[in-house]
Amino acid sequence: MMDNKTFIIAGIVIALLIGAVAVFMASGDPDGLESTALVVQGHKELTGATPEDAEIEEDLTGKFSYESPMPDYSLGEAMGSTGGIIAIVIGTILAFLVVLGFAYGIKVAGKPAKQNQ
Amino acid sequence: MHIPDAFIPIWQGAIYWIIALVFIALALRWARNDMNEEKLPLVAVLAAGIFALQSFNLPVSMGTSGHLVGGALAAIILGSPFAAVFILTLVLIVQAVLFGDGGITVLGANIINMGVIGGFVGFYTFKGLISATKSMPVSVFFAAWLACLIPALACAVEMFLAGTFPLTEGLVAMGIYHAIIGVIEGFVTIAVIYLVTSVRPDLVDTGVKATAGA
Repeated sequence: MMDNKTFIIAGIVIALLIGAVAVFMASGDPDGLESTALVVQGHKELTGATPEDAEIEEDLTGKFSYESPMPDYSLGEAMGSTGGIIAIVIGTILAFLVVLGFAYGIKVAGKPAKQNQ
Repeated sequence: MHIPDAFIPIWQGAIYWIIALVFIALALRWARNDMNEEKLPLVAVLAAGIFALQSFNLPVSMGTSGHLVGGALAAIILGSPFAAVFILTLVLIVQAVLFGDGGITVLGANIINMGVIGGFVGFYTFKGLISATKSMPVSVFFAAWLACLIPALACAVEMFLAGTFPLTEGLVAMGIYHAIIGVIEGFVTIAVIYLVTSVRPDLVDTGVKATAGA
């Protein structure tokens, strides 16, 4: 059976490979929610292709707006797919570390309380 | 189905946040009391895998694409819907804050849809089907498919309440697109469960292992 270290390394390597391939292969079509927005706004037929110039109208009154550091998993046009890969690698590693940190922190923080019972 | 900030008014987003926080608190309690410490590697690797798989949009025809969400996967493989809430909440925070994928004020709604509803629908559909059919692939497929479709329909209702989509048109379009995207959810969830079960059966919840041939 695979030990923990090998399992974690293999898991992260597979995740990074999937993410890297996604940068080149992922479909640029809108997702289900975006497609629905285009349909209800009359820019797209329900079962038809999405027109090249279709854009979602956003009413921002009373809404919050936030500029993320790496919008759309990219580092901007100039960085191209290299930027895309960097963004995905950062995200994948960060997702791993944040969840590991939280889970580990909760376990460790929870321990003394259990011992006192 | 990551809702952007522009789709929900701030006050409604706040209500979803409050509901989400209740489930996040329960998920933290699950992590402290019921999450087996030996499963930490799986919990963390799943987060990395779900993040990467979520970036991989596959074409699903009709000018639309979709990707795995992972709520059913996390809940089934770790044996609790709160595992999905725990992992999806943190993945969604990373996506929203760093990559603008899903908004900030609407993050509560996204956590409810993909983590809470996805996790609970996926987990309990699996539980029901596995005792009825004894087939891991069949149970996992339909559990994951529903864990994609039902959150999408919930999302359509939220969009209606926000005044962003009309009710019927939103439900029909969200339903049709995610009924197809759910097929991706189904197959990828089966594949990951088989993969993890074959290399580390000890990390997989007993309810899955018995029927996965490990």
